[in-house]
Amino acid sequence: MAAHYAMVIDLNTCVGCNACMAACAMENQTPVWANRWRTYVHDLEVTSGFLEDQIRRRFFPRLCNHCDNPPCMSVCPTGATHKLENGIVMVDDDLCMGCRACAMACPYDARFDVTYDDLKEGETFYGSLHFRTSPSVDKCSFCSHRVMRGLKPACVETCVGYSRMFGDLNDPADPVAKIVASGVAKPLMSHLGTRPNVFYISDLERAT
Amino acid sequence: MEGMFYSTQEVWTWWIAIYLFLGGLGGAAVVISIMTNMYYRTHKELILWANISSFIMLSVGSLLLFLHLLHHIAVINVLNPMVLINKPDAWISWGTQFIVWMMVWSMVYTFPYLLESPFWSRMPIVGSILKLFGWAGQLSLKFHKIIGWLAIINAVGTVLYTGLLLQSFPAVALWHNPGVPLLFIVSAFSTAFAFLLLVLYLFIDREEDHVIKVFYERTDVILISVELLIIFVFFHFTTYGLESARHTASLLWENMGWIIGFIGFGLLVPFFIELKGVTTGWKSPAPIVLAAVLVLVGGYLLRHYFMYAGVYERPYPAQHEFAPGGHVELDKLQTQKPVSG
Ligand code: SF4
Ligand code: SF4
Repeated sequence: MAAHYAMVIDLNTCVGCNACMAACAMENQTPVWANRWRTYVHDLEVTSGFLEDQIRRRFFPRLCNHCDNPPCMSVCPTGATHKLENGIVMVDDDLCMGCRACAMACPYDARFDVTYDDLKEGETFYGSLHFRTSPSVDKCSFCSHRVMRGLKPACVETCVGYSRMFGDLNDPADPVAKIVASGVAKPLMSHLGTRPNVFYISDLERAT
Repeated sequence: MEGMFYSTQEVWTWWIAIYLFLGGLGGAAVVISIMTNMYYRTHKELILWANISSFIMLSVGSLLLFLHLLHHIAVINVLNPMVLINKPDAWISWGTQFIVWMMVWSMVYTFPYLLESPFWSRMPIVGSILKLFGWAGQLSLKFHKIIGWLAIINAVGTVLYTGLLLQSFPAVALWHNPGVPLLFIVSAFSTAFAFLLLVLYLFIDREEDHVIKVFYERTDVILISVELLIIFVFFHFTTYGLESARHTASLLWENMGWIIGFIGFGLLVPFFIELKGVTTGWKSPAPIVLAAVLVLVGGYLLRHYFMYAGVYERPYPAQHEFAPGGHVELDKLQTQKPVSG
């Protein structure tokens, strides 16, 4: 059976160091000068459902959820957005015309623009290693180029808090599959029917 | 699991509203004019006005969309008709093909009338080019009804597409419901009747068109009343519906541009002007012309506010809220409330 990749993010152990953002930006050459990232760690204040007077600080990493029913893919007219057999949702930047219908359809706000100006800026910023040639809409690819080589996504590799875990849901022995199966990690906004493959372990449930 | 954030988007704004407005108006104008010509009253001038205007509208709308693409050359991927086989689930694929083929077939349908028209045939350069294609006009006349129906089918598809496009975005309660295509279809036909009334009153102005004008005014009154009913349904849906819909409600129903501009001047005022026109009549065409202009402005305002009032619900702030230059009315849109999960 082909792998079905997923990520678990433990909100209890994310320390908000933003190392994942930096690693991802270097790995995937995102237009950081315009504050556009494939993954971003929010610094939020949240209240607990039971203890409304208690305010907690939460570091909340966001990225593409690699949905199994991705609305970004069904609206994409060029076929640039497609899903690999291993569950990773990809954007082919040669096919993408940058209509941004996918960005409008994504409930997780996971997509951003790479413009003609960004391509020029990228040449200066990333120097001779710069690989982007087409403007497009971009988003996290679970570092599929690394995963294909048996490596973990750059953000997972660099995460100091072991907050990010990456694994194969089709392998019952995989720790990620076990966590997801246990129900302790939950997807975001599952009521929309997108069937995300990024699961979060809540910090609030641990606290209360 | 956590508090939710509510925010609008800054990706598709006024230019998409214009695109949707011109697409709906242009498509519906083609349907009405060709139907009128084929089954009600033969009217070559109306066809010329409607189909050439529609061609210009769709060109302007498509150009706006094209200019806002990130990768212009890749547009070839949707212009290729094979896109319907490769991506039949994407409404932009259908919409692009509908628009292209509507423009083609409506111009082929109009072509024989263009050849006969003194205005076009005597125009320098254009006239001599047209003369070279006399045979094409003959051919078009031979299959005129079939060509008319091909234009109508694609024009209906274009109108439908403008509503279905928004419906395919699941995270926005205001858009992701079957009321949107319905509203946009009714509005598109209402604006098209208004536009054709303007053409008939201001540019063609023939005594014998009275019957067509009356028919268009009556139909427009019915369409505006249906639109008002659908707007009421949306009022109910946004006010008492899902959380993101309720945030939309606070954007729409507290906005004077929406209430006075769209509902007041874009629907109610023209409704009463046209109602008096079809019941007791007006002595001069001026009120109907005014009503038609208001309906057109209202048609744009509807789409404008619909684009700006689509509220997303997310577990974190939207990208444009933390991107440089991004802004958000935090006090209005952002709430954090504990939810179970
Ligand atoms: S998170 Fe958004 S971009 Fe990623 S697969 Fe889901 S809908 Fe598509
Ligand atoms: S921006 Fe690109 S990936 Fe997104 S829908 Fe348009 S063509 Fe597809």
